[in-house]
Amino acid sequence: MNIHTYEKLWLAASMVLIVGFIATVTYGAVGLGIAMIDDDESTIDPDSLDEDERFSDPRVEEMDDGTYEAYVVAEQYRFNPDPLVVPANSTVTLYVTSPDVIHGFEVVGTNVNTMVIPGEVSKMTIEFEESEEYGLLCNEYCGAGHHGMEGEIHVVPEEEFEEGEQ
Amino acid sequence: MTAEESKREITHDEFDPVGTLTLIVIYFAILAIMWFFMYFIEFAENGPTVIGVA
Repeated sequence: MNIHTYEKLWLAASMVLIVGFIATVTYGAVGLGIAMIDDDESTIDPDSLDEDERFSDPRVEEMDDGTYEAYVVAEQYRFNPDPLVVPANSTVTLYVTSPDVIHGFEVVGTNVNTMVIPGEVSKMTIEFEESEEYGLLCNEYCGAGHHGMEGEIHVVPEEEFEEGEQ
Repeated sequence: MTAEESKREITHDEFDPVGTLTLIVIYFAILAIMWFFMYFIEFAENGPTVIGVA
């Protein structure tokens, strides 16, 4: 087969482009550590969240290794706790679940975004750096009050966070 | 000049579509730049980002 030189050129270039796309996504996962939220967490009975040790009292808790865990309930039509207060320069693992219908959990303007499914726990680890206030919203239609379902995440300086805990 | 006179035979390798090549190069450059901005600026810089599920 006789392929023209120019044609070889752009065939090769498109291959390089595809390899480049795959390489950057791989770099994102391996180099930057960007993760995808999955359904690895064990299921939970959505009707008895009040009996669950984590979700009966939605809160932020400090772990022994200095990281934090936050237990959040997304329900018609609010996020609990609201605001979710976390310290700056911290690593927070969020556990989010729903007692009623499917909700969304989107930290506005960031890449933190997941579905919240009754019976499932969405688990994600996030690093918060500077003090900031983020909006939180539901991006899955969840009922008549969906448009008003919003919350806030307050990233506060470490000292302020510790004061607030006492 | 008749149509017959203006006809010129060239071989396969003598045909050089420089215009097409230029368009494709521009198109590829746009793709590469857009990909860079979309991934590294709009996505990766748009933190916080989920960094783990473990």
